[in-house]
Amino acid sequence: MHIELYNVSKRFGDITANDGVSLDIREGEVVALLGENGAGKSTLMKMLFGLYPPDDGAILVDGKETSIHSPQKAMSLGIGMVFQQFSLIPALSVLDNLLLAYPRAPFWTFRHLFETSAARSGQILDYLHELAPGLAPHTLVRDLSVGQRQLLELIKVLNLNARVLILDEPTSVLPPQEAERLWGMIRKLAEGGRSVVLITHKMEDVMACADRVVVMRNGKLINTLERDDCTEVSLVQMMMGERVDRAPVTTPPHDSVTRQPAKVLIRDLAASQGLQSIRGINLELRPGEILGIAGVSGNGQHLLADALVGLARLSAGDVIIDGVTLQSASRSPASSGQVSYIPEQPAVNAVAADLSLTVNVALSHFRNLSFFPHWAPEKATTESILENYEVRPPNPDLKAGQLSGGNLQKLVVGRELKDEKDLIVAAYPTMGLDAGAAHDIYQALFRKAAEGAAILWISEDLDDLMEYAHRIAVIRGGEIAGIFDPREADRYDIGRAMTSQQSDETPPTPDTNVETRTGVSG
Amino acid sequence: MNQTTTAATSPITGLKRLLNGPWTPAAIMVLAFVAASMAFFAINGREPVGLFFEMVRGGFGDGYSFSETLVKTSPILLTALAIALPARLGLISVGAEGQLYLGALFGTGTVLLAFDQPGWLLMPLMLAGAMVGGAVWGIVPALLKTRLGVNETISTLLLNYVGILMVSFVVHGPWKNPNSLGWPSTVEFPEGAILPTFFDTRVHMGLVFGIVAAMILHVLVTRSRWGLGLQVSRSNPRVGATAGISYEKNVLLVMAIGGLLAGLAGIAEASVIQNRLQDGLATGYGLTGFLVAWLSGQHFLRIIPLSILMGGLMASADSLQLYAQLPKASADILQAVLFIIVLAVGGLWRRRTMA
Repeated sequence: MHIELYNVSKRFGDITANDGVSLDIREGEVVALLGENGAGKSTLMKMLFGLYPPDDGAILVDGKETSIHSPQKAMSLGIGMVFQQFSLIPALSVLDNLLLAYPRAPFWTFRHLFETSAARSGQILDYLHELAPGLAPHTLVRDLSVGQRQLLELIKVLNLNARVLILDEPTSVLPPQEAERLWGMIRKLAEGGRSVVLITHKMEDVMACADRVVVMRNGKLINTLERDDCTEVSLVQMMMGERVDRAPVTTPPHDSVTRQPAKVLIRDLAASQGLQSIRGINLELRPGEILGIAGVSGNGQHLLADALVGLARLSAGDVIIDGVTLQSASRSPASSGQVSYIPEQPAVNAVAADLSLTVNVALSHFRNLSFFPHWAPEKATTESILENYEVRPPNPDLKAGQLSGGNLQKLVVGRELKDEKDLIVAAYPTMGLDAGAAHDIYQALFRKAAEGAAILWISEDLDDLMEYAHRIAVIRGGEIAGIFDPREADRYDIGRAMTSQQSDETPPTPDTNVETRTGVSG
Repeated sequence: MNQTTTAATSPITGLKRLLNGPWTPAAIMVLAFVAASMAFFAINGREPVGLFFEMVRGGFGDGYSFSETLVKTSPILLTALAIALPARLGLISVGAEGQLYLGALFGTGTVLLAFDQPGWLLMPLMLAGAMVGGAVWGIVPALLKTRLGVNETISTLLLNYVGILMVSFVVHGPWKNPNSLGWPSTVEFPEGAILPTFFDTRVHMGLVFGIVAAMILHVLVTRSRWGLGLQVSRSNPRVGATAGISYEKNVLLVMAIGGLLAGLAGIAEASVIQNRLQDGLATGYGLTGFLVAWLSGQHFLRIIPLSILMGGLMASADSLQLYAQLPKASADILQAVLFIIVLAVGGLWRRRTMA
């Protein structure tokens, strides 16, 4: 199947998301759609998947102009998309999740009869057997690793006879081993005659598995290159345009940090909330230290962060800063002015969406506002954050909900880093941001370390952790599975510590190369 | 409101501009209500236009009718505030009726206890008692919500019945006036426990309390840090907690303040209007207050004129009875019609402007 996008444009209000983009996707090739956050990659592909109608231009499928007005239509044409947010139901089994998305599952018959017959005839499980031969269909989805869940999403789309697969930032949540496995799978799918569009801002993705690279910037298509014709440097330049000269990210030197006495003590911390729990967490942070917390998403990072900043009740242990108990199991959790928190998913967890940016920025020092707040200085503070962090659009009166995810992320980071704090808890502060914005955020975050704050930095990006953190603690199943010095440790050792099955929270699922290599605990 | 006539007489170009103006939905609401109430009269076999104006005159026609309108306005205003304040935190309370009854109950209890005290002492004691009573009836559902996660709408709804029946119990039982010949009520309040009224009418201090409270709440909620905290908690309690805003404390506070205001409405009714506590003290004011609070979009200053309007509608029920022999319930029906029109037009308008 050959798809051509011809001169496609899309505007949202005053913002032009796509401006006359022409692109073709040929059978059996992997196209990497590369660009900064907000360059218009996702919008373009969402139009192909029928989520938005284009304002201008045409989409041609096998040379014929086609109107793709809904995802159903896209799927009937053989176009499938895997989103960053998974749409699996954790409480159901792999097979049930596949059945839910299976087009020929009749809803009125006896489900179990159909299930067994479909499973016996194998059609629904063909791709599962082919791509993940060891994954038992009756495993519950909540017991799967992120990589396995993503694979399941992919199989759901393949079951719809998709000939064109669109993957939106698929490697952003994967540990290195699983990302490598995914690249292999993408190559395999392309060799089988399918086309794959890989939306990404990561160079590794491009270098590992793309045939062609399409670079986008500010809604426009900048260039289309064969993979062999491009270098990382040239791609970065195209992606970022003018803004390539950036000061390097600096972190406080290891030696000066390790000489300091501990500032933040986390002792025997335990907490549970819903299905998540953490226990026996013992960590020390020195002033200026960047302690990375590595781990596969859903292993207790979220709860650990909440417990530290006073949003979750501790069942045991305490948190002590400079000798003063901040959180303790013996009292109610309470937030503190000494601690900054950059939570994951800021749109949900860090802002009041229907209030203005100014108000949302003022929240970080709510305690210090006068009873009848003066808004002029708050507005000025907000404007300077909007400018320094290049938040678009830079209007402090907008409601937080009107900003895109990446811009909101920048706003929240700017807010949380503007004051002097003792401890900064940052969960995935650069998630979904392009390299340029991520660079700026790292710079700002680690400058705080140089000023003496202790930083607990939760991330899934092992490369970044290895580059910037002074120590990396791996969290798995709610416990610390090991602490590594990034100057000496091997990334595969850390990866193994992240995914090893010592804990009862990740039951054996011996289908991936990750698991076959396991058995060693960090 | 007078936009109605302007909109109808403007030339075409002006009309187009007006149609997109901020007052357009309000004008449509008024027009729709006029049409609907006339239709209601016509269905009942009455002359619609004349009767409509009769109704307006019944509420606002002369000094006396307007004073009666204001008498009805004060409990509506206070109970509307009791609903609107929790709504600013995202709580849907329907408990103003019960809080009103509890205010009357506690206030009356205080009066009975301090019966022989001079007015300068008795009056503040009575008001304090009423405020405590109303506040308790706000705090109970607030605690149920923060401690046990009980839905506040259901608990306040059910507590309304408890409050009404508690008053019924005391006036039939322990507090019954032995000289009232079987009529279930307490003894008459002493002179010192009758709230001051104005200009020889029944318009009483309750109205002043309501207007002052509305203004103070407006300033606090729209301008103060506390009001900002309510907005943040309503929008995202988790973010509020991160900023050090306690959702639980605010739930208790807004429910208590709301209850306190409704409690004042209750004691004012008992003191000025009935001179005693009796069954059927103020049937329906709490629910009318709920309507007003939601019609106003929880805007405290808008609540004042809306309460007067609604008070007028209630007061004119008498004239409907008198001139057209329509049952007293007609006023309730028209109230409901107004509420539905406002919600429907508002909803349609929002959809139109979003599209």
